[in-house]
Parts: sequence; C-alpha cells; structure tokens
Amino acid sequence: MSSYDLYLISPYLAVAGTGLLVVLLDLVFRRKGLLAGVALAGLALGLLLTAVQARDSLGLGGGSGLPNLAIGPGLLAASLAVDRFALFFNVLVLAAAGIVILASVDYLERMRGNHGEFLALLLFSATGMMLLSAAAELITIYIALELTTLPLAALAALLMDRNSSEAGLKYLIVGAISSALMLYGMALLFGFAGTTSVEGIAAALLAPAQQPVPFGSYAVLAAVALLLAGFGFKIAAVPFQMWVPDVYQGAPAPVAAFLSVASKAAGFAVLLRVFYTGFGDFDWHWGALAAGLAAASMTVGNLVAMSQTNIRRLLGYSTIAHAGYILIGVAAVAGTSASQASPGSLTTAGPSSVLFYLAAYVAANLTAFVAVIAISSRIASDRISDYAGLVQRSPFLAAALALALAALIGIPPTSLFIAKLYVFSAAVHSGLAWLALVGVINSVVSAYYYIKVIRVMFLEPPAAQERIHISPTVWAALALVVAATLWMGIAPAAMLGVAEGAVRALSGVAR
Amino acid sequence: MLENYFRQYGLAAIFLLVAFLVPVGMLAGSWVFSRLGVRPAKPSPVKDAPYECGMEPIGGPWNRFNFRYYAYALLFVIFGVEVVFLYPWAVRFIQMELFALIEMAIFILVLAAAWAYAWRKGDLEWR
Repeated sequence: MSSYDLYLISPYLAVAGTGLLVVLLDLVFRRKGLLAGVALAGLALGLLLTAVQARDSLGLGGGSGLPNLAIGPGLLAASLAVDRFALFFNVLVLAAAGIVILASVDYLERMRGNHGEFLALLLFSATGMMLLSAAAELITIYIALELTTLPLAALAALLMDRNSSEAGLKYLIVGAISSALMLYGMALLFGFAGTTSVEGIAAALLAPAQQPVPFGSYAVLAAVALLLAGFGFKIAAVPFQMWVPDVYQGAPAPVAAFLSVASKAAGFAVLLRVFYTGFGDFDWHWGALAAGLAAASMTVGNLVAMSQTNIRRLLGYSTIAHAGYILIGVAAVAGTSASQASPGSLTTAGPSSVLFYLAAYVAANLTAFVAVIAISSRIASDRISDYAGLVQRSPFLAAALALALAALIGIPPTSLFIAKLYVFSAAVHSGLAWLALVGVINSVVSAYYYIKVIRVMFLEPPAAQERIHISPTVWAALALVVAATLWMGIAPAAMLGVAEGAVRALSGVAR
Repeated sequence: MLENYFRQYGLAAIFLLVAFLVPVGMLAGSWVFSRLGVRPAKPSPVKDAPYECGMEPIGGPWNRFNFRYYAYALLFVIFGVEVVFLYPWAVRFIQMELFALIEMAIFILVLAAAWAYAWRKGDLEWR
C-alpha cells in the first residue's frame, strides 16, 4: 500500500477514526456536549479530504484530472473505485450525518447519557455508506453494507424503550434477510462470471459464451432479481418496505432522519454502480423489473400514507413513495443503455437524474426531519394532531416544515420540482412514458396528505400556547437544509452538472 | 465444462452419502452385534448420563440463563476473534514485513478500545 492509496482512502479513515475517538473520549469526558463537536470535526475533516480528492479528480490543482483516482496495485486495487461518483455520495452522506448531529443536540437529552454511542455508531454507519458508494467488488459491497446496517440497528434501539427495541430488532432481522438474499445473488453471479469484480462481471456478460455455463442466463436472471431484492430493502422499495413505518416510528427521531436519507442514498449508489456498470450493457430486462418496483412503491407508499396520523409514519410512507420516484430514473438507466445507438446526453439522463433527485431529496427530507426532531424533542409527541397551530407556537419551524412538505410534493421553487421534472423526462426519453404518467398522478395524489399536515399546522387552533424553543445549532441545521432545498430549486444548473459528471465516472456510461 | 460442473455435484453427493452411511452403519452395526451376542446389554445410570466424564449436570437443559452472561459472551467473542486472526498472521508474518505489523497493531488497538469501553461502562462487574 503506497501513501497515495492512503490518501485515497483517507476520508473513510478520518470518519471511522473519529468514531473510534468518540468511543474513547466518551469514557473520559464528563461533559458529553463536547463529543458532538468532535464528531462534527471528524465529518468536516472527511468533507475536506473529499474536496481535495474532488479537486484532483477535476484537475483543478494542476494535472489533467481523472474521473477515477485509481488505487495502486495491491489488496485495495480491485475493491474500491474512488471516482467522482463515489465522491458525490461521500459529500451527500457526510453532509447528511453532519446535519443530523447538529439537529439532534436537544434530542440527545432523551438518550440517557448514551451520547457517545449515538455519535460513534452514526459515524461508523456513515463510513459504511461512503464505502458502499465506492465499492466496486461484490465482497467489498457486502462488508460495506454490513458496516452500514449493524450500527443502524443498534442506533434504532438506542432509546431502550419498547418501541425503540422493536424498531431495532425489526431492522436487524430484515437487514439479515436482505443480506442473505443478496449474498445468494452474489454467489450465483460469481458462479456465472468467475469473478467478484463488477467490471469483470460486465465483461463476462458481454463476452460470447465460450463454454456452456449450467443454467446460463437463467442463473444471471435469478442473481439480478436477488440483488434487486437485497438492495430493495435498503432503499425501502415495495415489496420490501414493511420495516419502514415501525422503524421510523420507534427509532430515535435523528436515527429515522439518517435512515431516510443517507441509507437510501447509499443504497441507490450501490444499486446504480452494480446495475449500470455490471449489467448496463446487457439486456436482461431488469429495467422492466425496476419500472415495476417503481410503480408499486409510488402507489403503495402514497395510498397508505394518506391514512396516517403519526408524522413519522407518514414520512416513512412518503420515503417509500420517493424510493419509487427515484426508481423511475433507475428504470430509465436500463432503457437508455439498451438502445446504445443514441449517444450524448441521453445516455446519462437516467442515472444523473437519480443522483440529482437524491441530492434534492436529502435536502428536502432532512428539512422535514430536522423540524420533526426539533418539535418532538420539545413536545414529545409525533401525532399530527399535536402539530395543530404550530404556526403560533413557532412560526419559523412551521414555515420550514411547510416548505419541506411542499418540496416533497414537488412544488416549483423547491429542489424536488426540478428533480421530478428531470426524472420524468428521463423516463419519457427512454420510452417509459407510462411510468412518468404514473409518477405524475402519484405526485398529485401525494399532495393530499402533505397539505393535510400543513393545514393542521396553519389553520387549526393550537393545543397549547407555550412557544417551542430550539437551540441555535438546530436553527443552523435547519437554515442549511432550507437553503440547500431552495438553492437546488432556483439554480439547479450547478448540481445538475455535478450529477452529470459523477455519472460519467461509471464505466457503463463511458463505453 | 458442463460435465465438470456436474461432476462437482456428483462429488458432493458422494460426500452426502458417506455422511449418511457412517452413523447409520454404526447404529446398524451395534444392533447386529447385540443380536450376535458380541455386545451385551447391561444398562446402568452411568451409561445413561449425557456425558461420561466431567461435571454432573445440574438442572434441566431448558433452564434459563442469567442475562448477565451475555456481556461476558460478547467480550469472549472479542478475544476469540483476535486469536483467530492473530494465528494465521503469526504464521505468515515473515513474508509480510512492516506493513503487516502496523496493520495488526491497528487491529489490536481497535479491539482494545472495545475492551476499554466495556470495562469503563462497568460490564466487567457482576451487578
């Protein structure tokens, strides 16, 4: 391992090392408030190192710039791809983790002194997510996935009451099942291709079959379905969504926030890399599979969300619906690469719309969750009816939550309007007009339950008169995500360019 | 290629067959020998005990354990895993130079952090 390799994995080392440091400092510090500062410093260091790598990747610091900063020969060579795609998700995950930590300062009082555990597990999980977006080999993907999932299961149970324990156990068991499905798919793929590297699998699928492989294409078809099922649990797509509402309701609110954005983003990262790089040029009709999952997720998520009375369950079903919208972009990936004759912007429209949607969704959903964390750490209730008259108790909080819900509907000056537009147009361009239509209808349907919450907040008389006070750090977190939501909605060009550039690093597109 | 593939399954099938036949053969042999009078049937309480050596078991097998053993089991896993990794590392150490030494030092430090955490949080005390 050379020092250049160390530089390439330095963001992961920084975040994981900070996690370890937090565990140790927790043992000696009396004032637990300092731990959050240490964790934030670690995330900032990771962000800084990622920025330096991005500069190198773009060639801004001299040199020509490379889309993929290749790791030298050795143990890591085949397992990690530190490319612009991975860097994009590094920033997304680190930013989400930072916002969640900022927003949970008040909430941590309910953790009964488990500050160190909360922060360390969050950092370990973030490391796993970053590695997941860079993993270019099946075994690395599996390890990164476990590193993501196991701390999240412990985090979900951290409140140690009945609901929280249930959430943790459900997440653990569902995670184990999805890992098992995915491992079986990986085994079948390895049996077919004889390699665990995603690029190698792509080459093996493209090569004309020199030797007959038993059950040939059917084995790959089963592997694709099993992998999609395994990733489906992580991104919470129907029919693998059953854990979402219970975990979102029972887990500590900051953990639910982190689960809903970072975990989903990392799941889509690995999904895109495996399916686009591995199966991209290969016509296995997995695009139709993704389209089916997308339609089912949108419809089920939105229909069930309507009858919810708990804000966190509502947001849980809303994330299922949004997994569906994002899967439209994934389905468009398949459509574009199947028709290879059309080069240019069309080939990257699907995956780059997924990346832009994820960035927009992370900002908007975090806005909603930061507001929910702030409210629930003060009034200790998640019932929507307890949000009545929120505008009189905390006007800015109510306004921010209303903005987030408007963004989740997809109303123009916000990020998700552009994102939905982009995803739907990618679908239409790759011949999936029906799917775009389902998406549009679902967006309209979803307005019902989002606006219901806004109506309760603004029009109903408040249940109590006392004002809701929030720490300055939570205000800072809220301001950051609101600014990001509006920025991506008003001036989307910059983020669209970044998403486009990140997707070009995936080898399936470059071909 | 294809023949080779199915030959692998054939080998697995042979292993399965052997694994099935060995215990069945033992039981059947025992029965045949008892029929021939080679093995006299003389049951005694000692022979009926679950283990012929070691402690006399106390209580039934479905007894509940004290939950506090759980923490000890976890701590045991920490050191168990450490040894599992240390042993092959020690065998191949000569070929791997300084890099392996640093790598293992980091590994042991991480484990030591976990152990320090358990110690400080009072998991080593019997409460």
